[in-house]
Amino acid sequence: MSEEIYGMVASFKDTPSLYHAAEKVRDAGFKYWDTYSSFPVHGMPEAQGQARSKVPIFTFIGGLTGLTLGTAMVWYMNAFDYPLIVGGYPFFSPVFPFPIMYELTILLAAFGTLGGMFIMNLLPQHYNSLFNCAKFLEVSDERLMIAIEAKDGQYNHEATKQFLESIGGFDIEEVKA
Amino acid sequence: MSDQDIKNINSTGFFALLIGLVALAFSIYGIFSGLDSEDPARGFLSWLIGLSFWLSIALGLLFITQIWYVFHARWPTIIRRQCEHFLSVFPWLFILFIPLFVIPQMIGEPGILWKWLDGSNLLPGGHGTVQEDPLYQWKSIYLNSNAFIIRAVIYFLVFFGLSYFLRKWSFDTDKTGDIQNTHKARRLSSVGLFLLATASTLAGIDWFKSLDYHWFSTMYGVWFFAASMRAALSVILIFCIVVSAKGYMKGTFKQAHRYDLGCMMLAFTIFWAYISFSQYFLIYNANIPEETYWYNIREHDGYGVKNTWWAISLLLIFAHFIIPFLLLLWYKTKVVVSRLVFVAIWILTFHLVDLYWNLIPGKVIDLTASHGYYIRQFSVEIFDIAAIVGVGGICIWSVCRSMLKAEPIPIKDPNILKSLNHSE
Repeated sequence: MSEEIYGMVASFKDTPSLYHAAEKVRDAGFKYWDTYSSFPVHGMPEAQGQARSKVPIFTFIGGLTGLTLGTAMVWYMNAFDYPLIVGGYPFFSPVFPFPIMYELTILLAAFGTLGGMFIMNLLPQHYNSLFNCAKFLEVSDERLMIAIEAKDGQYNHEATKQFLESIGGFDIEEVKA
Repeated sequence: MSDQDIKNINSTGFFALLIGLVALAFSIYGIFSGLDSEDPARGFLSWLIGLSFWLSIALGLLFITQIWYVFHARWPTIIRRQCEHFLSVFPWLFILFIPLFVIPQMIGEPGILWKWLDGSNLLPGGHGTVQEDPLYQWKSIYLNSNAFIIRAVIYFLVFFGLSYFLRKWSFDTDKTGDIQNTHKARRLSSVGLFLLATASTLAGIDWFKSLDYHWFSTMYGVWFFAASMRAALSVILIFCIVVSAKGYMKGTFKQAHRYDLGCMMLAFTIFWAYISFSQYFLIYNANIPEETYWYNIREHDGYGVKNTWWAISLLLIFAHFIIPFLLLLWYKTKVVVSRLVFVAIWILTFHLVDLYWNLIPGKVIDLTASHGYYIRQFSVEIFDIAAIVGVGGICIWSVCRSMLKAEPIPIKDPNILKSLNHSE
């Protein structure tokens, strides 16, 4: 396994060159690649051609589950399992259990968001091949990098190396898996 | 601004004033022609609806301008200038408020709209007169004619004073670039928010809640605030989109601004629902007749037969909360211009329905009816539309006048760059 290739990394001298290089990698049609910097770069998701985050879908499903659960719980307890007259109100109505319904909506929407964030970010992840590259550790300081993964269909040792050079990359090296 | 822009603004303002004056004259005719009908208060309520619709928008914008100052928000700097144009309307709204008080005095029936203004008014259901009503006697220290006038003047002084200085300092910065103006506006806002919150809460109680002076709810002032903010955000969004399409703010009002305004619309949609529901929920749980009757008359006729307000109540839940809430949850709605304008118009429409629901229902004395009264039902009168268009015409004329006095965006504001370069 040690001979397997994870991908290729290239460094860039400043943020604009990283940004424009990312646009070129996007336009070249690569799918499995990413940019790395120690600070957020405005507009980078667009330059990388990323779609909007899918996390809101998890939030929505979580919220909907909470709403259903809250309603069903109050109905089951107060109107079905042990019908109880409190203050002359009906056994079940959408009014008095509403605080429970919306609290559970909010709780499960928050869980959905947190869980969705972990799922979409592929977390937790205990090993990443990029740490085999000594220069990659400098990304947390001042280095700006693009990494193209070998599992991308367009990946080809020589061609990808030339391509990264042509878009302004230096310190290009292959990373072992 | 180009000469063409100035010409457009001038002619828009002129037409708005013309339409406004004609509609207001028609509305005044409506008030007088309705005096002989069985429900003479309805004409005044039309006027009150028109006035409160535009007043809520102006108050919401005054709130949001100060909130932005207090939080040192940089992104809305270019939007703040558009809000400031709307803040010029308060003197005109004050003038339009006067007829509501003066016309009833002139015709010798001071209690025609606000029943408690006339102690000899009969109570619905044959319970004597207002003077003999213990609930009024306890409240009379607050609800009396002199205190009402003094308070109304104070409220408008607060509204006008705050808007005057915020406008003056902001417009001065265009010429001098003096950063002290921004500091002064910030200091004023931190005090002004308290003054405005107090004044608008009490104004809501005086002008809207006291239409039915038996009822009390501690949530009423904050309901008015929440409703005002929703209306204000919708109006400023439509205004910014319209003027930037006309070239006045083109290229400066961007997707990121739309997105953030959309987020605020979503937040205040939830806030409005939270407040409106809490008010209902507290009264429902406490189950005290002095409070529940206010919701009862908005549901049934006293014998359990649903009246028109029942449908309007459900409409408010679904159309004023659930539909805009679900639409605004969606990212696309907050950035695509046509969808955002659609939601803003939708919210404004149902804000008006919300005002109808809050202001119009009431017990009208009719000795032939079974309880000695009937409940005023939902209806859209031609004079309602006249009042809304009339007050709106005056407001738009005032906005156009203000637009000619200042730059389209606050070019020398210290935060202008942050606003122009705003990104999501």
